[in-house]
Amino acid sequence: MFRTNMRVNVLLLVMFLGNALAEQPLLAESSKISDGPIVAAKPERKSVKPLHKIIDEQIQARYKDDSQYVSALSGDSEFLRRVYLDLTGRIPSITQTREFLEDRRSDKRKILVNQLLESPEYARYISQQLDVMLMRRLKKKYINVNTWEEFLRKSVAENKPLDQIVREIFAADGSNKETQAAARFYLARNGDVNELTRDIGEIFLGADLTCAQCHDHPDVNDWKQDHYYGLSAFLIRSFVFTDKKKKQTVFAEKAEGEVKFESVFEVRDKTSKGPETTLPVVFNGTAISEPAFKKGEEYQVKPAKDVRPIPKYSRRAQLGIAITSPQNRRFARTMSNRLWAMIMGRGLVHPLNADHSDNPPSHPELLDSLTDQMIAHQFDLKWYLRELVLSETYQRSSVNDAFNQKDAKELDESQFTHAIMKPLTPEQFAWAVLQATGFTDIYRKSLKEKLTEETLRKKLVGYEKRFVSLFGGLPGKPVKEFEVTADQILYLSNDGAIQGFVTPRTGNTADRVLKVPADQSEKVAEELYLSVLNRYPDQVETEEVITLLQGKAGTKRSQTVSDVIWALVMSSEFRFNH
Amino acid sequence: MRCHYACGTHESLTRRSFLGGTTAGALSMLGFSGMTQVQAAKKLSTQQKQVVVFWLSGGVSQLETWDPKPGTETGGPFLAIPTSAPGVHISERLPYTAQQMHHLALVRGVNTKENDHGKGNYIMQTGRKKQPGFAFPYLGSTFSSHLAPPDSPLPGYISIGVGGSSTESTFLGPRHAPLVLSGGKAPNNLELPKSMEPERDVLRRKLRHKISQRFEQKRKTAHTEVYNESFDQAAALMARRDIFDFSSFSDKDIERYGKHDFGRHCLMARQLIEKGVTFVKVGHTNYDTHSENFNFHIEQLGEFDKPFATFISDLSDRGLLEHTLIICMCEFGRTPRINSRVGRDHWGTAWSVALGGAGIKGGAVSGKTNETGTKVIDREVNGGHLFHTYYQAVGLDSTEEFYPNGQPIAKADPKAEPIKEILA
Repeated sequence: MFRTNMRVNVLLLVMFLGNALAEQPLLAESSKISDGPIVAAKPERKSVKPLHKIIDEQIQARYKDDSQYVSALSGDSEFLRRVYLDLTGRIPSITQTREFLEDRRSDKRKILVNQLLESPEYARYISQQLDVMLMRRLKKKYINVNTWEEFLRKSVAENKPLDQIVREIFAADGSNKETQAAARFYLARNGDVNELTRDIGEIFLGADLTCAQCHDHPDVNDWKQDHYYGLSAFLIRSFVFTDKKKKQTVFAEKAEGEVKFESVFEVRDKTSKGPETTLPVVFNGTAISEPAFKKGEEYQVKPAKDVRPIPKYSRRAQLGIAITSPQNRRFARTMSNRLWAMIMGRGLVHPLNADHSDNPPSHPELLDSLTDQMIAHQFDLKWYLRELVLSETYQRSSVNDAFNQKDAKELDESQFTHAIMKPLTPEQFAWAVLQATGFTDIYRKSLKEKLTEETLRKKLVGYEKRFVSLFGGLPGKPVKEFEVTADQILYLSNDGAIQGFVTPRTGNTADRVLKVPADQSEKVAEELYLSVLNRYPDQVETEEVITLLQGKAGTKRSQTVSDVIWALVMSSEFRFNH
Repeated sequence: MRCHYACGTHESLTRRSFLGGTTAGALSMLGFSGMTQVQAAKKLSTQQKQVVVFWLSGGVSQLETWDPKPGTETGGPFLAIPTSAPGVHISERLPYTAQQMHHLALVRGVNTKENDHGKGNYIMQTGRKKQPGFAFPYLGSTFSSHLAPPDSPLPGYISIGVGGSSTESTFLGPRHAPLVLSGGKAPNNLELPKSMEPERDVLRRKLRHKISQRFEQKRKTAHTEVYNESFDQAAALMARRDIFDFSSFSDKDIERYGKHDFGRHCLMARQLIEKGVTFVKVGHTNYDTHSENFNFHIEQLGEFDKPFATFISDLSDRGLLEHTLIICMCEFGRTPRINSRVGRDHWGTAWSVALGGAGIKGGAVSGKTNETGTKVIDREVNGGHLFHTYYQAVGLDSTEEFYPNGQPIAKADPKAEPIKEILA
């Protein structure tokens, strides 16, 4: 642990010594440095500006006319709820809420962030987010989904570098038991070269190359048909193969096969030179040259009926290396931008899959800094998320007076002058509802010493899946922005399970609140608001609860408490991460 | 080089669901402003057009339905019978439908050049060939968006017995996605929880609204408005759950329509149209008869014919047919050649679609296939022509454009035009 940290310090030092050192020699240095003595790092460290400071400087430098509209920093309640949702996927419990609000330490936010990043819930939630990014909620095909989820969860838990996770995914063909789960990326897509090319372009390179399949992109000058087929060329020789003896489906590969393409426009114009082909290449990088074999000597295992061929040279094995290579800044840039959007609510390049010169980032220098540091920190996911949430930019309030001025234009979200309201993801919504209503507490208690993140999730996964199926969109097409359907609202309004959460049951929120003596309605209001919205009620809200409960006893009182919990859980304050 | 309508830009894809959200928001706003425009609303309600699609999934045989070729090598064993439309003959497998032919028009020159179930389905339900990069809305969503009054509490597109996906509405937004009555049942959770009195529900919803409003002060509210509005929409849907009460059909009706699923689904569709739902799709399966084509068609059409004909006659008797467009179609036809298993295979090259009701000239026939049904020899049309025809039949301009991302997307294929000879 010590050594890793030190290595990062040295890297940062090198990073900021000047621009003379380009990315490549810098990374080449890194492996040497990690093994050698680390002396110079400590004294120089102070001069290295942490990323969260750089973020704030660069965001603030661009406020300009909008500076009068900058929101105040969030209060403790607002920050607490937001950071819990963003790093653990749930809202804090009432105990955690009280502890934090009463904590008087000046660096309590930083302490909390560190706690959350080390929690097992961090690994569960962030790996779920990675899963949606990579798999788009595709259904099970060939690979057990649980083992895939476990591969991601473990990777996040041990803070495996993001580029390494991606390389492992691209390297896995499903034949090796230990790495089999990671082959889900290929196999759930049935090895379809076009689907894989489009998804790889979008997810890892920030480019929706769909149009470039048939011709150079009509609207985006940067995106050529060659880019599409440069990526396809890595995969064109691969195919899904089921080994009947081993009862195993793998992503196998042949030793021959080239992509062939010509523009449909040129064909129509009769100017076509005929089909072109390309070697594997990631965007404008260098094409990967290939070893030549004598005819008949291309295979380790030759193709035959019911036999999985193994070529001596695998094109696909180059894919992960080429995508994550330091020469390919697009990868680090896209990952930095995606994670930024996940935390901040909007990409610096926006939409996330439209990174091209006609759609510049809102903050080009900042995106460059994020990308540089992502590379310098060797794709350290935890470090990156920590820096983002420690920034003032992240910690601004979603409240802004300008929204109230009827004539004022709506504040441009790309300026990050205020916290952007993010609809809860299906997973966040499920876990937040279970936490707010006290259902998680019931299960935590019942598990006693068996309580771990995994055992708890096993208990709650049914509820989580219900939310995902209603709010998550269709396989392959997860919901990207905010959508509402009749089914969702009917479920929230009338489903027996939801009504069950808000009805008193030993240990849940309704039950706890009903134990507060009837003459202490003020306390009731406080319990309700702290449990569900993680903040103290204001005067109006307290009086509202008092009025609602006035003169009610027995069933009537119990019903009212349930209804207030329901109303709080269904409010827009709860539905959004604000 | 510009790409006109064939493929979308990156933006159209990524912003689709966002637009879905804002469309719902815009509509909810219309809902409010609509209240002040009483006259406009009245006009809408008197002119409101409705659409019913009968979807014979798997691909019904045109030779055993709308374009029989008795006595030829490809014609199969069935005869052609005269119908209530002078000069128009259809297969003897549709005796009840033949009695309603004066309400129906036939398009016998369909050539979609597509023999794949999925792609054929896409062409027939969107009027376009499937293209990477841009998703056209399905016709249920399209007509829900064009024809349903903006403040209607009713869902605009209901699908019975044939499934449906929330992605069908694409950039038109979730409000126009199909409400699927799976298993021929009403949606889940239409009823309040057992313990919940309606008055109590009103109070908790009011409280929900109040708490939300307080939160929304000084915050950006585009999304929260949609969210709040959706609770009102759900309440409206619950209040109109009578449209989903399928328990009170008379014994006589059940007898007339048949005691099987399809008969019941047709009765449900009749009720939904009566209650004002804009678009209903009713499915009947399965016509994918690669073997035993004739036996299967005896069975399937035996089930289909009477309820379909009864539906048309009921709509006509009740005065609903004049503003309701009926479309009977599937993903493609079946091969004239009879294969070795006495089956017919997929055939998008020369087949038929039947239309009726609003805007359609009853008894009209467009297009002709050759003697053996292997080729269209007169008035060849494709999905584009059909879409222009559907639009114009309900009084919409099919040459207009959508603007899903600020860029024009033609509503129907600009290379095609309506089949004027069957339009009333």
